[in-house]
Amino acid sequence: MSLSHQQYALIGRVLAWGLAALLAVAIGLDLADYEIPGALRLALVGWGFAAVSFAIIRQNMLAYVTKRLVEAALVVWVIATLTFLLLRFIPGGPFDTEKALPPEVKANIEAKYGLNDPLTKQYADFIVGAVQGDLGESYKYIGRSVSDIIGESLPVSAQLGFYSMLLAFAIGIPLGVFAASKHNTWLDTGAMFAAISGVALPSFVIGPLLVTVFSFGVPFAFLHGTLPPALWESSVYYVLPVLTLGMRPAAIIARLTRSSVLEVIQSDFVRTAKAKGVAHLTLLYKHVLKNSLIPVLTISGPLVAGILSGSFVIEIIFAIPGMGKHLVQSVTNRDYPLILGVTLVYAVLLVIANLIVDILYTVVDPRIKLT
Amino acid sequence: MTHFSSIRPFFALLCVVAAVVSVGCTKKGKDLEITVPGQGKLTLPHKETLRVRIETEPPSIDWHKATDTTSALVTENLMDGLVGYDFSKPEPDVAPALAEKWRSKDNRVWTFTLRQGVVWSDGQPFGPQHVVDGFKRLLNPMTASEYAYFLYPLKNARAFAEGKLKDFAQVGVRVTGPNEVTVELDKPMSYFPFLLTHHSTFPVRQDVIDKHGDRWTEPANIVTIGPFRLKLWEHDKQLVMERNDAYYGVKPQLKYLVGLIIQEASTAINLFESGRVDALNSLPAQQIRELKKRKEFKAVGNLTIQYYGFNIEKKPMDNVKIRQAIAHAIDRQEIVNVLAGGQIPMTSFVPVGMFGYEAGRGRTFNIEKAKGLLKEAGYDDPTKIKIEFRSNQNENHQLIAENIQAQLKRNLGVSMEIKNEEWKVFLNTVKVDPPPMYRFGWQGDYPDPDNFLNLMTSYSENNRTRWKNKKYDDLIEKAATESDRERRRQIYAEAQKMLVEDDVPLVPLYTGVSHHMIAERVENYPVNILARYRYNEVRVK
Amino acid sequence: MPISVPTLNPNDPLPEGVDAAGPVSAPARSLWSDGFRRLRKNRAAVVSGIFILFICLMAAFADVVAPYSFETQNIDEMLQGPSAKHWFGTDSLGRDLLSRVIYGARMSMSVGVLTAIVSLLIGGIYGAISGWVGGRVDAAMMRAIDILQAVPELLLLILVMVVFNSVDVFESPELKALTGIFLALSIVGWVGLARIVRGQVMQVKQSLYVEAAQALGAKGRVVLFRHIFPNILGPIIVVLTFQIPSNVLFESFLSFIGLGLQPPFSSWGVLCNDGWKAKTDPHLIIFPGLALYLTMLAFNLLGDGLRDAFDPKMKNR
Repeated sequence: MSLSHQQYALIGRVLAWGLAALLAVAIGLDLADYEIPGALRLALVGWGFAAVSFAIIRQNMLAYVTKRLVEAALVVWVIATLTFLLLRFIPGGPFDTEKALPPEVKANIEAKYGLNDPLTKQYADFIVGAVQGDLGESYKYIGRSVSDIIGESLPVSAQLGFYSMLLAFAIGIPLGVFAASKHNTWLDTGAMFAAISGVALPSFVIGPLLVTVFSFGVPFAFLHGTLPPALWESSVYYVLPVLTLGMRPAAIIARLTRSSVLEVIQSDFVRTAKAKGVAHLTLLYKHVLKNSLIPVLTISGPLVAGILSGSFVIEIIFAIPGMGKHLVQSVTNRDYPLILGVTLVYAVLLVIANLIVDILYTVVDPRIKLT
Repeated sequence: MTHFSSIRPFFALLCVVAAVVSVGCTKKGKDLEITVPGQGKLTLPHKETLRVRIETEPPSIDWHKATDTTSALVTENLMDGLVGYDFSKPEPDVAPALAEKWRSKDNRVWTFTLRQGVVWSDGQPFGPQHVVDGFKRLLNPMTASEYAYFLYPLKNARAFAEGKLKDFAQVGVRVTGPNEVTVELDKPMSYFPFLLTHHSTFPVRQDVIDKHGDRWTEPANIVTIGPFRLKLWEHDKQLVMERNDAYYGVKPQLKYLVGLIIQEASTAINLFESGRVDALNSLPAQQIRELKKRKEFKAVGNLTIQYYGFNIEKKPMDNVKIRQAIAHAIDRQEIVNVLAGGQIPMTSFVPVGMFGYEAGRGRTFNIEKAKGLLKEAGYDDPTKIKIEFRSNQNENHQLIAENIQAQLKRNLGVSMEIKNEEWKVFLNTVKVDPPPMYRFGWQGDYPDPDNFLNLMTSYSENNRTRWKNKKYDDLIEKAATESDRERRRQIYAEAQKMLVEDDVPLVPLYTGVSHHMIAERVENYPVNILARYRYNEVRVK
Repeated sequence: MPISVPTLNPNDPLPEGVDAAGPVSAPARSLWSDGFRRLRKNRAAVVSGIFILFICLMAAFADVVAPYSFETQNIDEMLQGPSAKHWFGTDSLGRDLLSRVIYGARMSMSVGVLTAIVSLLIGGIYGAISGWVGGRVDAAMMRAIDILQAVPELLLLILVMVVFNSVDVFESPELKALTGIFLALSIVGWVGLARIVRGQVMQVKQSLYVEAAQALGAKGRVVLFRHIFPNILGPIIVVLTFQIPSNVLFESFLSFIGLGLQPPFSSWGVLCNDGWKAKTDPHLIIFPGLALYLTMLAFNLLGDGLRDAFDPKMKNR
C-alpha cells in the first residue's frame, strides 16, 4: 500500500482511541444503569474488528493469523471430539434420576434425543449441527436450545468477566508499579501483602466475607446495607461479585508487574535515562511500565480462562444468571448438548483471547515478530 | 503506538460518542420494576407482590415433562388438576378441583364430572377433551415424559406408552358427556384420584402445543387455567406470575408472584435478611440451629424417607442377621440430633403423617440385640466386618454417613468405609452394581403407602437391593386393589413387617422436614406435608 | 505461546546472566550462594520459610501434636465455641476442630506438595522437550496443551475419581482418600508448568553462553544438563512455591462442587467448605480459614523472596 508511515500511525491512533472511547461510553452507560443501545454494541464490535484487522495488516501478520485461525479451528474440532468421547466414558447418563425410570420410558426419552443411534451417527449429527451453528436442544432445560441458553447467559458472564479484568488491571498494575518503586521498603511488603491476600483464600470464603462486611455491616455497623448481598440487577449489584472475581487476577497482575518493573529498572537503558536525569515518575510510567507490560500480557490469556472458569463459584454465591454455572452444572447434569456447547464456546473464547494477546505483543513491542 | 501524553483527542472523541449515544437511552429496571418483552415496563407493587426463592431454574414448566420440585412449584400455581388436596385433615385427602365430583362403583371405572364455566387464560372454555388430550400427551412415546408410568393403571396405557399400541382410542379414557370423562383401569385401585392431583396428569391445550412446539411454555405462548398466569420468565433469574382474575377457585390476594432463582441456600438467607426475598422453602443445613429460634421460622414434616439400602447379594450383606444387626445398631435419634432440624427418627418405611404409618414398626436401636445377631451370624469378632458404603457428597448425607460410620464402630466395632461419588456416577453405580450399603431417599408423589412400598417390589426400578420376594409383590398388588381401608392398612402392615423387620433389605433412618423462613409481612403461607406451594390464599402487608 | 523470541541485536544490552568477559560455562554455583545470601536478607521470606517448616512438621507429627483424634465424635459437645478443652471449638459432629485443622494440614500439604512435584515432573519434561526441540514438534505439543486446557476439567476429574473409587491400590484409608484428589489435581496441574518451563528453556537456549557452548562443540545433552537446567532451576523452584498454594486452593474448590476428599478425613479445603455457610458458628470458618490464609501467604511470600533472590536477572542488586 502506498500510505506513508505517518499516515499508518495516524490511522492506528484513531482506531485505538476510537475503540477506547466507544468502550468508555459503553461502560459509562452500563454503570449509570442505562441500556446499551444496539447501535453502540454494533459499533463496538465493528470498530474492534477494524482495529484488530488494521494491527494484523500493519504488522504483516495476515499469513500468520490465517495460519493460527486454521490451527485454532483444528484445535476446537479436537476439543469437541475429545469432549464428545469423554462424555460417553463417564458413568451416569442424563436420564439417570433419583426416581428411577421404567426401562421403556427411558427408551422413549433416549429415542427422542437420538441417544440410541450408533455413536458414529450421533457424532456426525453433532459435528454437522455445530458447523451449521445448531448446537441442539438441552436435555435438562426442556424447550430451550443450547444456543438460546448460551445467548442469554454468556453476555452476563462476559459483563462480569470484563469488569473483573478491568478491575484487575486497574488495581494490579498501579499496585505493582508502586511496590516496585518502593522496593525493599515496608510499603513494598505491605502492597504485596495486600495483593497476596487476594489469592490466599478460596473465593467462596472471600465472597461471603465481603457480603458480611458490606451488606450486613459486620463488624463496621455503618457499612450495613451499603451493597446488596446478591442478584444482578443494576451496577451496585456488580460491585461485590466483580471484586471477588477480580481479586485473584489483580493479585497475579500486581506481582507480575512488580517483578517485571524491577527487572526493567535494572536494565541499562533505564540506568542511562536516570543518569541523564529524566524525572522519576515520567521514567516509571513512560519507559519502565511500557517495557514491563509484556509479561503481564502473557499472563492475561490464561487469566481470561481463569476468569471464565472462576465465575462458576461467583455466579452461585451471588445468584448471577451467567454461563459459568453451566460449565459445571451441565456436567453434573450430564446435559450432553449443553456440555458440548459451553465447551465449544469456552474453547473459542480461549483461542481468540490467546490470539489477541499475541497480536498485542507486536503492538507493544515491535521487536517481536510473529511467524 | 500510543502515548500516554496524547490524551486530549481521546476526550474529544469520548464527548462526541457520549453525546450521540445518550440520545434515546433507557434506564434499566430497578428492584421492583420489570420489562416485559412487547409490553414495556411493569411496576410490581410491594404490597401485592410475594417474592419466593426457587432453588433452580425450572428445567421445564411443561407439566407433562417436569420432574423436580421447583418446576412443580411453578406449574401448580399456573395449573390445576381434576383433583386437588384438602390439608385440613390430619392425613391429607383429595378435594374437588377441575372435577366437581367423581364416582366409581368398583374402583375400576371412574367417572369424573367437570366443573362448568371454567376458562383457559386465552378465554377458551375448559372441556373434557383437554383432560383426554393431557392423558394422551403424557403417555405418548413421542412426548418422552419421565412420569408416563403414572397413568399405567389405565387400561392399555402401558402398551400405548411402549409404542406397541398405536390407537389411543383403546386406552381406558374417553369423553362420556359434555362435562364428563370416564377412566377405565386394568384393576381396581382405591386411591386412583390421588394420581390426578399430580401435575403430570393435568389437562392440556393440545392446539397450543401443536402451534408452538417445545417453546409453548414461554410466557407469550403458554395457556393455563390456574390461579396465576406466567407473565415473564427471565431464564436463570426469575419468573413473574400475575393474578388470574378469571380463576374459578379461591382468587389470589396477590397481584404478582415472583420466583427468584437463587441456587445457594446461604445466599438465599442473605437476600431474605436484606428484605429482597419474602419466603424460603428450604434452608441451609448449617444455619437451622440458629434460624429455628426466629419467629419467621416455620417447619413442617414432609413425605420423605431417608434410608440406607443394602445389596443383599454382596458380602457381608448377604447374611440377613447382619442386616438385622445393623438395623438395631443405629441410633436414629442421634442422627436427628446431629441434623438439628426437627427430623423424625424412623424405623418404618412408610413415613409418619400419612395413611399406613405404624408407630413402632421396624427394628429399633438396641445394641445388645445387634451384638447377639452378629454372634448368630457367626461373627465372634465384629471388628473383622468391613462394610463398603457409597453415597454422593451432600452436606447432610455426609454428616449422617460420618455419624453412622462412628456409631457402627462404637456400638459394634464394625468398620464402614465411605466412598463418595459424584451424583450421576453414584446413580449409575447403584443401578448397575449396587455396593453392599448405600444411601437413598424417596419423596412421596402422593400420600398413599403404595407410593412407598411399591418401590421394593421385585419389578420396581427403584429397588436396588436385589431383594426379590414374590409374597411381598403379591401383598402390594393385593393392597392396591383392596377397597376397604382397614383391610388395606393390615396388608400394608404385613408387607412392611417383611421389609423392615424380617428380610431387612434396607434400614429406614428418618423422615425429613421442610424448613421455611417466611417474612412477617406474609400471611397464610402454605406449609403442608406434601410441600405443595399454592399461593392463591397468601396475603402480604 | 507461539512467539519466536526476539533475535538479539548486537546493539542491545547483553542478555541477563552473562558478563561480557565472563566464563562461557554458566556460573551456577556462585548464583546459588549469592541467592541464599540475598534470601537471608529478606525478612518476610525467612519468616515465611520458618512458618512453612512449622506447618510441615505439624502435619508430619499430627498424631503427636493433635490433642484429639480427627474422627472421634462426641455428640454431647457438638458445635461448641472455643474453650480451654477445645481451643478451636468443635464441629457439628462434636469433633475437635483444632485436631481436624492439624490433621487437615497433613492432607492439604500432601496434596499441595505432592501434586506440585508430580505436575512439575510431567510438565517439566514436556515443556523442556517442547522448548528444546522447537519448530513443528513444539507447535504440535503446544496445541495439545491448548486442547487439554479447554476440555472441561470436571469431566477429567470425574473420570479419574471413578477409576479410583473402583480400584483399590492402597490398603491405608488415608492414602486411598488422597489418591483420587492427588491424581485429579496432577492431571490438570501440569499444563501451566509445561508452558512456563518451555518458555524458560527457550529463553536460556537463545542466550549467548549456550550458543557459545554449542559453538565450542558441546553435545546437546551436556548443554541441557550443564547449562540449561541449573539456569532454569531457580525460576522453577519459584513456580513450585506458587503451584503449591494454588493446588491447595483447587482442592477446596473440589470440596465446593462436591468432589472433595473422602470422609472422615479433613483437609483445609473440606473444613473451609463446611464452615463458610455456618454464619452463626464463625469458629468453623475462622480457624481453618486463618490456617489456610497464613500458609498461603507464607508460600507466596517465600516464592516472591526466592524469585528476587534467584532470578539471574536480579543479579546486579
